[in-house]
Amino acid sequence: MSDTRRRRRLGEAALGYVFVLPALAVFGVFVFYPLVKTFVLGFYRTPPFPNLPSHFVGLSQYGSVLTSPAFLDSLWRTVLFVLFTVPLGIALGVALALLAHQRLAGIRIFRTIFSSTVATSVAVASVIFYTLLNPEVGLLSYWLGGRGGAGILQSPTLALPAVSVVTIWQNLGFVFILMSAALQSIPDDLMDAARVDGSSMWYRFWHVTLPLLSPTVFFAVVVGTIGSFQAFGQIDLLTQGGPNNHTDVLIYSLYQQAFVFNNTGVAAVMSVLLFAILLLLTAVQFRFFERRVFYGR
Amino acid sequence: MSAGEGGLDVPRAAGVELEGVTKSFGPNLALDGLSLDVPAGEFLVLLGPSGCGKTTVLRLVAGLEEPTRGVVRIGDQVMNGVDPKERDVAMVFQSYALYPHLSVRRNIEFPLRSRHVDARERMRLVAEVSSALQIGSLLDRKPAEISGGQRQRVALARAIVRRPRVFLMDEPLSNLDAQLRVEMRAELVELHQRLGSTILYVTHDQVEAMTMGDRIAIMNHGVLQQVDTPEKVHDRPANAFVAGFIGSPPMNILAGVVEPVTGDTAPARSPTPADRSVGGTDAGALVSVGMPGGSIPLGGPLAEAVLSRGLASVIVGVRPEHVSIDPAGSLAASVTLVESLGHERHVVCRLEAGQLVVARLAAREAVPRTGERVSLSFSAEHLQLFEPDTEARIDV
Repeated sequence: MSDTRRRRRLGEAALGYVFVLPALAVFGVFVFYPLVKTFVLGFYRTPPFPNLPSHFVGLSQYGSVLTSPAFLDSLWRTVLFVLFTVPLGIALGVALALLAHQRLAGIRIFRTIFSSTVATSVAVASVIFYTLLNPEVGLLSYWLGGRGGAGILQSPTLALPAVSVVTIWQNLGFVFILMSAALQSIPDDLMDAARVDGSSMWYRFWHVTLPLLSPTVFFAVVVGTIGSFQAFGQIDLLTQGGPNNHTDVLIYSLYQQAFVFNNTGVAAVMSVLLFAILLLLTAVQFRFFERRVFYGR
Repeated sequence: MSAGEGGLDVPRAAGVELEGVTKSFGPNLALDGLSLDVPAGEFLVLLGPSGCGKTTVLRLVAGLEEPTRGVVRIGDQVMNGVDPKERDVAMVFQSYALYPHLSVRRNIEFPLRSRHVDARERMRLVAEVSSALQIGSLLDRKPAEISGGQRQRVALARAIVRRPRVFLMDEPLSNLDAQLRVEMRAELVELHQRLGSTILYVTHDQVEAMTMGDRIAIMNHGVLQQVDTPEKVHDRPANAFVAGFIGSPPMNILAGVVEPVTGDTAPARSPTPADRSVGGTDAGALVSVGMPGGSIPLGGPLAEAVLSRGLASVIVGVRPEHVSIDPAGSLAASVTLVESLGHERHVVCRLEAGQLVVARLAAREAVPRTGERVSLSFSAEHLQLFEPDTEARIDV
């Protein structure tokens, strides 16, 4: 009696594993194996010429990357890039969502426009801005007074901000949709109550709207930070890390190590470090900012 | 106009006046030429079925909506175009609309902080209002951590704490269970007496309206039907809609054809001598209202009123307590449902035309079984008549 039951339960468990197996296989091949392999690669120094054996060097390669000025400069530029793109991008997204939340005629058109960049790929965004910022024919260059002069993307001071603007623009649609959905989940009664209670628009925003948006804002900060740390396409297409490495962010220099210099050992070390930085940063965000987040009722 | 003027301790009730107010939302007309005058200190209940426009009235007074046409005044000042925060009114929402991320204390303080009341004064006012409403022990909790009844009190406290000129309450008790609702009803009435404030109170529950209001304004389809004291509204409804809405169970409304009554077919329940004396001895003054299955005889003054207006048909209103099951009754019906409330019973009967009539019987009276064929008789002196076209009351 109990024996047949046990057998049946075992059979059910086996069936469960069979169902999980395909996903596990895909994850194993494309996620877990590369992850482990990356760690391992970091312990080997890549030979100067192909076909020579690589040497096991242990953690020493981690030390040399961590202390190299090139890596530290690249890390600093990445941090700047994140600081440019994440807060500004979220602030803009919230502002647009608040605007589009008004009950006005034709507001749907604006909602569509505001969210449209979500359907734009990095490549498309980059090409659009590449053209706009072109010193010869670019409209933005012309408006910004740079006609005939040095291009913005070629300027050591302006290249990183320019790449940041493209990134903000490209992410805006996604942030806008997130914030719009969050705004719509705030009951109208609450905003009406706050109006009758005598609060100004500004007071309502800081004391009612923003606290109730906080879970979404927090999510956008975490996801946005990770996304900006991993930004690659716009850098590759617009500046290739230039001018003079001024837009050489972590991922871009990692890519160059791996695919231009064929130095897979260093590239692996950099990926592991990037992973560690993101893990640490996300943990810090959860530890220090999540307490200011209000989840549901 | 500033909220702080006059001091927060002084009751500063103000009257509310709506003059020819029309409000449309796109093609939908929510209010149609509504005029209503609420004197300072009155507890006025706005009563009507859902979608009749009663909540729109509150939102117009609060300033959450602007009238399409017409004027809204609070304390003789025209409020059209005035921002809600300048109107000095407080609103209690059906959903309570408590700020979920703020503690009970911060919720109650919200209107004070919005108006930059200083911290000591805030402490004092919150302490005062929370002890009055017995929520002093809840101040540090979040709205999610307290019960529905407690949330209701917090919402009230938030409204009371700044002593507004007018309170607007939108079905504040409808989310409470029955027992708590009865308790809060009494407390609200007491609170009104203590504060002496003007209250506009929206409900679809006519028992709430009857028990709480100084006056009741009954609305239907955005049109005001009648404004009067609970007694007047109950005893002298302005039209068939009001008659059918007020009372528990409400008045039975029956339409029929006016028929003269000859001596032989005199109704089983003949008019009293008093009726006859008003109607005169002329047998022609006696009429009945015919419908499939029988008729309802009308006594002297009612018959007179029908005849003098030359009506071919008329609407009869009769309260359930004035309908009895009587073998000698004049109208045939079948019993579809008997509801026992302990102290009384409601017998729901279906007429031959398909319409339902409710008779209210004392618990000791014999009750027919479901499905049984019965005859109904009507207490002639308690019948009310309404015009067939306008459904307006026929005064006799």
